[in-house]
Amino acid sequence: MLTDDVRELVARAGAHDPDAWEQLYRWTYPRLFAYARRRVPSDHAADDVVSETMVRALDKLPSFTWQGAGFDAWVFGICRNVVLEQHRRRGREQPHDDVDPSPGREPGPLDELVASEERDVLRAAFARLSPADREVLELRVVAGLSAEGAAEVLGRGPGAIRMAQSRALRRLESLLEEVNRGR
Amino acid sequence: MAADDDELLDRLADALGPFDREPPADRIAELRAAVRDAAAADPTGMGDGDGAAGADDHDGAVAPIGRGGPPRGRTAWLAGAAAVAVFVVAFGVGYLMRGAPADPATAGGVVEFSQALVGPDGEELGEVEGVRLGIGRVVRLHTDELEILPTGEFYEVWFVGPDDEPGSPDRISAGTFHPDEEGVSDITLTAAVDPALYPMLVITAEPGDGDPSPSPIEVARVDLG
Repeated sequence: MLTDDVRELVARAGAHDPDAWEQLYRWTYPRLFAYARRRVPSDHAADDVVSETMVRALDKLPSFTWQGAGFDAWVFGICRNVVLEQHRRRGREQPHDDVDPSPGREPGPLDELVASEERDVLRAAFARLSPADREVLELRVVAGLSAEGAAEVLGRGPGAIRMAQSRALRRLESLLEEVNRGR
Repeated sequence: MAADDDELLDRLADALGPFDREPPADRIAELRAAVRDAAAADPTGMGDGDGAAGADDHDGAVAPIGRGGPPRGRTAWLAGAAAVAVFVVAFGVGYLMRGAPADPATAGGVVEFSQALVGPDGEELGEVEGVRLGIGRVVRLHTDELEILPTGEFYEVWFVGPDDEPGSPDRISAGTFHPDEEGVSDITLTAAVDPALYPMLVITAEPGDGDPSPSPIEVARVDLG
């Protein structure tokens, strides 16, 4: 979605336009769900996280400005806090180590098996990264946030995010080699 | 960013990417109902804010809705803030009039370089200054952009010579450090190195594996030439 379109939607959302909210929901849902799903134990729980995120966004929208990294970075910041609050309530510090890293995916057709296998290897290596490494990479590649956006979500500087990403990729490469050796 | 990184990111995005999934209809209906409720509670459609608050407001807490003038306590808060501002300005003026205290680490020295620290993507990460003294060079470095490394890992500052190559280093360490718990690195190091002979300053992230040779993970550099 183009930035101007998002701006227009957010402006309409600020005027309590249900259609605008539904469009923002549909736009952010796949990414928020993907982020949440790797941190909670079920699709239903991930849907709960996304719903709670949107309700809080509805309440907080009057305080949103475009001075930061954009609407989606702002919403991801809310989503991250919803997940963290759930984890604190459950007393689990790192709850997503035991969560299926590829929930909701169906096996591909035969002619996609090779690619599917490669994705499995990558997901297995990714699951062995530290939570901090995973989060940085997810915010960049799943959420599609810029370094500035990820920095805003994580409360760090863009330079630190770029470095963290670079280091996480190096560690991912090492883990990929390990996973491939173990197959 | 290296092309290899781009390729790995693409593959990762493919493997982890957003699920091809529509939001459940009942969740959409709930959100629409919540929007209508909010509209009914705020018929102006303007919310209670002016939209000028910081966009980093991520606490997600539901703000109490207040209308019809400033909330109680705001006037007192503003008065307090004004008093603090007056104090800070007065202190700052006094400080400047007296002059900043001399830094004993660099007193009597000559500033040889004062430049920006540059990250792998060309982004500015902070500042570095070198002061020549009788004992060598004092390097002062400030950045709040370096990642807090895992326990046991650290950053190392190197003066790098023109013949430096992977496997055949031509560099001298100026010392090691790690950011504080807030991610701030405000450090002073001393090295008996002539920047004319080692005209590049490099910071690497070291794994803490006991290997004294430089790691290939370069996080910042400054061309002193």
